[in-house]
Amino acid sequence: MPARFSIFSLVKVLFRPKAAFETLATQEPPATRVFFGFALWIGLLPPLFAYIGTMNFGWRLGVEPVFLPQRTVFAISAAYFVALLLGFLTSAVIARWMAVTYDASQSLGRCFALMAVVGAPLAIGSVIHLYPHAFINVLVLVPTLIWSMYLLYRGLPVVLHTGPNRGMLMASALIAYLLVAAVSLLGVTVALWGSGLGPLIGT
Amino acid sequence: MNYEDRIVTAFTACAVFWAVLGMLAGVYVAAELVWPTIDIGLPGLSFGRLRTLHTTLVLFGFGVSGLIATGLYSVQRTSHVRLFAPGLAWFVLYAWQLTIVLGGASIMAGWNAGKEYAELEWPFDLAIAVAWVSFGIVFFGTIARRKMEAIYISNWFYGALIIVVAMLHIVNSLALPATLGKSYSLFAGAQDAVVEWWYGHNAVGFLLTGGFLGMLYYFLPKQAEQPIWSYRLSIVAFWAFVYTYIWAGPHHLHYHAIPEWVQSLGMVMSLILLAPSWATMVNGIMTVSAAAKKLRSDPALKFIVLSLAFYGLATFEGPMLAIKSVNVFSHFTEWTIGHVHSGALGWNALITFGTFYFLVPRLAGAPLYSARLANIHFWLALAGIMLYVLSMWGAGVSQGVLWLSLDELGEVRFSFNDVMAAMKPYYLLRFVGGFLFLAGAVLMAFNLARTFAGRRTVTVAPPPAHAARGLA
Repeated sequence: MPARFSIFSLVKVLFRPKAAFETLATQEPPATRVFFGFALWIGLLPPLFAYIGTMNFGWRLGVEPVFLPQRTVFAISAAYFVALLLGFLTSAVIARWMAVTYDASQSLGRCFALMAVVGAPLAIGSVIHLYPHAFINVLVLVPTLIWSMYLLYRGLPVVLHTGPNRGMLMASALIAYLLVAAVSLLGVTVALWGSGLGPLIGT
Repeated sequence: MNYEDRIVTAFTACAVFWAVLGMLAGVYVAAELVWPTIDIGLPGLSFGRLRTLHTTLVLFGFGVSGLIATGLYSVQRTSHVRLFAPGLAWFVLYAWQLTIVLGGASIMAGWNAGKEYAELEWPFDLAIAVAWVSFGIVFFGTIARRKMEAIYISNWFYGALIIVVAMLHIVNSLALPATLGKSYSLFAGAQDAVVEWWYGHNAVGFLLTGGFLGMLYYFLPKQAEQPIWSYRLSIVAFWAFVYTYIWAGPHHLHYHAIPEWVQSLGMVMSLILLAPSWATMVNGIMTVSAAAKKLRSDPALKFIVLSLAFYGLATFEGPMLAIKSVNVFSHFTEWTIGHVHSGALGWNALITFGTFYFLVPRLAGAPLYSARLANIHFWLALAGIMLYVLSMWGAGVSQGVLWLSLDELGEVRFSFNDVMAAMKPYYLLRFVGGFLFLAGAVLMAFNLARTFAGRRTVTVAPPPAHAARGLA
């Protein structure tokens, strides 16, 4: 597994996450390999799906679709990609920082791999962005999110070598960070829309 | 002389009762947004009245009763002395509960002072003022008779709650009564709006944040069997919190007819507020991180751990929504309602639930009836909050985009009605989330009632005065 933690591990990560966690508990992939071999590629999927979906169907928010110029859609998708990578990197680094407090493994590679396994279902679930109807996306991505949270709670104690109790606390602390990161993303997004990058909205 | 704990039990029982009833009203109004005809033509069941009833019952019935219960419990233990004037405390109980019952009925009958979160008319405002000042006399009287030299940090927060809420309530409620059921605010126009949101936001600050931080600072170390991670940080955070919060109200009035500088001041103070809010979160998380072993055996601690995560979210989201360029988009959308509920359900309700699961077995002298039911409650609550918050984020952002969308001529592209109709699926999801949360609260009420049914007489006496640190 360590040498082979790449995009080819995707099937195992998605369908046998527990086996992936157990492998990671004994072996340690280098952080760069997880990032360049795996995270970067699956991180490309959501913006790609969003780009294709928005160009073809427009944003469907319950009334007539809102169509955006191609340049705008490209800029938003690129910003989405950057935000996802930043989210991934900061979560992994913060997990390593928290590991000191919770007496967990401080291997950066393991933190990267854990976040990759936890995030993979969301990246694949984002296939629903191909049809950017807001509510249908919420319906598909909320259960996926719950599955990812479950993976975080189950996987963290195993991969980072901490007890189930400390693991539960550390996972909750990470959830707090992820909630804040999610809401920051919302805030930054609407601030950018307000300043002209995005749908034509009057301010 | 033993601690006066029967009053704590009574307030706890009232809080649980109002939690269930208030949340039921909330779920009902959520359902009305999906199926508008279920008010069956009765004005008392219309959205405008039931929504007000919902906020009144959960804030003043559930929230305040829970705060008074835990405040009276902890002030005796941190002062090593029996409650001052217990008779007055019982008066507070009856006065407060009667005010909620009659006030709730008056709201359903259509009485409304027209101020958000302060809708009760002047007779109730007077009753609230009397009951609240009486609570203050009991609380500060107990502190004055304390046998410990230091005043523990939880009491600083409860104390700030009592003083500031008295100030806010009395000033905001100043009005000229016209009839028994109608009064007119002493303030007019923009001034009235500023006073209203000075009250409204500081009710969030000193009641929903400060008061519940008092609860956190007493019950978290107790449950975790660990001292506070940094006592010094808790004191610094307290004074920074008290100083900063009082200025933040005008962020509710961005782009309204109040002076620009007042709006900007409100925004800047809201941003600064993040520092003391998060200092407390860090303090809580670090305290509980030393007590990992207890998590498995103690369902109550789980609620507190999760409440800290939502406290972190809500206290970050608030300052962010106070930024004018974000607020221009989010104001009047469901995002605000989602934000309020991530705080009210995720922070206030969860920490109160966790505290009650800790408190009631101790008051009853019997173990919790079912730890399994408490665990089910935990997952129902978490699922309910996530559904609520995510559906409101989706609805809020959609509303923001659609309301602000312009066509080629610069006209508003979508009608208000069309946008509201498009929100129906989100409202259904929110209804489901709220229902799950209510179901959890009902399980808790059953669990706590069964626990209390198996009670034994418990009396706890203050410890003897400490020779080195005590006053006596």
